[in-house]
Amino acid sequence: MRAVRTAVHYALLCLCSAVILFPMAYALLMSFMDGAAILAGRLWPEEWTWANYEDAFRQAPLGRYLWNSFLVASVITLGRLIVSSLAAFAFVFLRFPGRDRWFYICIATMLVPWEATVIPNFLTIQALGWTNHYVGLIVPFWAMAFGIFLLRQQFKQIPHELYEAAQLSGIGNFRFFCRVVLPLSKTSLVTLAVYSFLDAWNMYLWPLLVTNDDRVRTVQIGLKQLQTQEIASSWGVVMAAAIIAMLPTLLLLFAGQKQLRKGLMQGAIQ
Amino acid sequence: MRKVLAGFLFLALVGLAAGCSSEDAGQAAGGKTEVVFWHSMSGDLEPVLNDLVVDFNQTHPDIEVKPVFQGTYEEALTKWNAVAGTKDAPTIMQTFEVGTKHMIDSGKIVPVQTWIDKDKYDVSQWEKNIVNYYTVNGRIYSMPFNSSTPVLIYNKDAFREAGLDPEKPPLTYSELKEAAKKLTKKKGKETERYGFSILNYGWFFEEMVAVQGGLYVNNNNGRSGNATKAVFNGEEGKRVFELIRDMYRDGTFYNVGQNWDDMRAAFQAGKIAMYLDSSAGVKTLIDNSPFDVGVSYLPVPDGVERQGVVIGGASLWMMKGSSEEEQKAAWEFMKYLTTAPVQAEWHVRTGYFAINPAAYDEPLVKEEWTKYPQLKVTVDQLHETKSTPATQGALITVFPESRQHVVKAMERLYEGIDPQEALNQAAEETNQALQGAAN
Amino acid sequence: MNERVSPVFPPAPWSVRTKRAARQAAMKSWLEGMLYLFPSLLLFGVFLFYPLGRTMYLSVFHTDYQGRPTEFAGLAHFVALLQDASFWHSLKATILFAVLTVPTTVAVSFGLALLVHETRKGIGIFRTIFASTMGMSVGVASVIWMFMYNPAIGIINRLLSAIGGVPASWLLDPDTALYAVAAATIWMNIGLTFLLLLAGLQNIDPSLYESARIAGMSYWRRLWMVTVPLLSPTLFFVTTVSLIQALQTFGQIDFLTKGGPVEATNVFVYAIYREAFVNYQFGSASAQAILLFLIIALVTFLQFRFAERKVHYQ
Repeated sequence: MRAVRTAVHYALLCLCSAVILFPMAYALLMSFMDGAAILAGRLWPEEWTWANYEDAFRQAPLGRYLWNSFLVASVITLGRLIVSSLAAFAFVFLRFPGRDRWFYICIATMLVPWEATVIPNFLTIQALGWTNHYVGLIVPFWAMAFGIFLLRQQFKQIPHELYEAAQLSGIGNFRFFCRVVLPLSKTSLVTLAVYSFLDAWNMYLWPLLVTNDDRVRTVQIGLKQLQTQEIASSWGVVMAAAIIAMLPTLLLLFAGQKQLRKGLMQGAIQ
Repeated sequence: MRKVLAGFLFLALVGLAAGCSSEDAGQAAGGKTEVVFWHSMSGDLEPVLNDLVVDFNQTHPDIEVKPVFQGTYEEALTKWNAVAGTKDAPTIMQTFEVGTKHMIDSGKIVPVQTWIDKDKYDVSQWEKNIVNYYTVNGRIYSMPFNSSTPVLIYNKDAFREAGLDPEKPPLTYSELKEAAKKLTKKKGKETERYGFSILNYGWFFEEMVAVQGGLYVNNNNGRSGNATKAVFNGEEGKRVFELIRDMYRDGTFYNVGQNWDDMRAAFQAGKIAMYLDSSAGVKTLIDNSPFDVGVSYLPVPDGVERQGVVIGGASLWMMKGSSEEEQKAAWEFMKYLTTAPVQAEWHVRTGYFAINPAAYDEPLVKEEWTKYPQLKVTVDQLHETKSTPATQGALITVFPESRQHVVKAMERLYEGIDPQEALNQAAEETNQALQGAAN
Repeated sequence: MNERVSPVFPPAPWSVRTKRAARQAAMKSWLEGMLYLFPSLLLFGVFLFYPLGRTMYLSVFHTDYQGRPTEFAGLAHFVALLQDASFWHSLKATILFAVLTVPTTVAVSFGLALLVHETRKGIGIFRTIFASTMGMSVGVASVIWMFMYNPAIGIINRLLSAIGGVPASWLLDPDTALYAVAAATIWMNIGLTFLLLLAGLQNIDPSLYESARIAGMSYWRRLWMVTVPLLSPTLFFVTTVSLIQALQTFGQIDFLTKGGPVEATNVFVYAIYREAFVNYQFGSASAQAILLFLIIALVTFLQFRFAERKVHYQ
């Protein structure tokens, strides 16, 4: 009985994985095909070729772009974790007049369609002289209602008695925040970090607007740079670039996954 | 993990510091004049453009042209709108043909005519039928760069299979319908191959109207005064829509949607035997198709005289905010681009037309044309074009919006709506946009 | 941040103090709270509320192509929108899209999270796989789906033909286009939703399951009586965020359908984007953005009002 259950479980896992992985595998296979094979709708390359990868690196400075993406995404992630956890802490543990009102104001920022803010924000960045600098790519994304909301949900799960006990033994708020709240919320922090990183990694329109220079441009621009309309795009090259852009994020997910499990174990011990 | 994280952070911070300090190192050194050139040439086009720029920079030691990719034409124009007139604006900006009126009205540009006059440059060496598009009130406003026209593409193997002469592609609507009927192949209920298709994209409709001599908007296509009313819903437009409706009803027309690559995929997979494409895409298409590809002129309705095609693609604009020196350097670059050898290379490597017809006599082009005789067809169609307001192309600011309405009208055709009604609605919506823009 | 914050807990409302001291303490607690909120509020102010204010301002003006106000329009843009059939159509498409994507995404992700919540050999690999779709940008994912949907060479039609089904032109038919985009969207969003739900599941104290098991509850009963209530904060969060995201969908529409065919997929944000960045009608686009903002605000308010009551915080 137990064996059957295990078998069914693994079968389900494999089936779901197949469905989820299929589009990615499709892209991977296409990245090894030549143009004719792709447009003929093949699924399996008859001849495997690395030419698409070579072309991708030749046509756009992908190496530089990847480095920039990595840099920008890391610093955005770090900033988001700090800014969001501070705010979420205040919303959950501190009592001050107008607290809930502020919370709803923060949440309300999620409702603003990003596309509606692009032009005014671009003008702001321009006025600050931040175009073509990393700061222009990074700072506007530090505050994030999603992050505050996510961490607030997590912090609310921390028993309030802990906080009261800390108060009684004279531990300050900030110390409580650093020593108790953050370690207890590792899982959510890692989740937020992973999400932030990927979100930042995948930005396109904003980096395109605020940069003019290959030295600060990010990898999604490189991807777009490889696609055309009026003449046929080399889809093999586009897919190769997509795979290149995807690899670091998948690696990060894998690392984050490990961390998540550790976080769980620590949480269980306490 | 902690160590990894620390290392990660350290790297990021170091990189950030390095990035910030190296920021302004890009100033052209040694008294060179820097010309920033915003473009939308992606994919295989970008390396070609970059090569041309490198050659220019090497042969012109006092000028440094810096090409910067700015996304699609729409994205680039959005960005340009935000920075036009500030120090962040480029010296040269590439914009698609339908943005012509928008650029002129912005007041932020210098017509290239200014420099043509200053330099006493002889523009008669430029292809008349291309320059016409960018000539407004007798002045050339921008320098044509990547220019293309639509052509009829067909599968020669399928022609042979269907018993048609692959060297005699259809030239009229009735021939087109006839051929499409023969080319359509059914297997049971399912259609294996359709005869014909047009992308749901406003450009092809505009061209099909223009080739009959039909106007898109009033006031001579907006060229003798600001256009106030759409007229594409007249007789010419109706013929195009009826053609699509009839063929779709007969099951010989395939709806490929509005994605260019979807359309090419359908052709290369043998799903459609004939379709309209840009002349610029012809060469890659021939290279990638597993069968013989034929290229021909746009078909016209029976009994209608062929007027020719409107130029598509994009042109280069010079910015007003740039210094005299920068403008002069930009003009040098533009002149360089139009020389015959450069245009020959551009034509051969991209498939776009040469602005300078002398390029077609270059050995490079001749050699290419023997390999790809189809390329010559695209050039012939352009050369045979009669210069009228219809083939000059419409001049309106709301072109992108109007195209959306035309696309919607095309899509409604497949829903079975009456062609005239669909067109009238698109025209009405365009009129509203024209009015809104006049406010 | 500094550590000079007072070690004394701000006075609870019930403590008996003089009014003045209470006010002082309130002021102090307010200051402390604001200190924590300051970075967020500053950034929100500059990069979200200022543009939002700007948008509101522009919504009552006619603008030039650069987005500068030229002439006061009053409520003209709003009136024009409300009378425009396209607007209502767009609203309908947006709501339908949200209805199609949100419940499915949450349900599927929850199922996946449950599947990998058990400890088994190699489960980490499956977790990574299930979360992997969040590693793809909308652009890349859309390109791949575009290929799969291609009526002529796409894999979906090929599979359908192989099993004797009728091939369809997914993105080209106004009746199926929105569903096709929704399916692609669900795939794209599963990764994040799954990861959040899994994190939520892992935060639940395992001893609670143990006691439920000892009490003899069946798997499904445990799921319903223990897991769901304990996961409710995360579920609430995930649903709220997914809903907001769905109402703001843009990228995949731009890549896959451009709002067509016959406006079948012309969802709100795409309509706004096109109005502003292609047609340069900033006034009208701003008015539409304001309306969208109000709609999302209403939906979210209702969610907080009614759904959060059912959420069980520890």
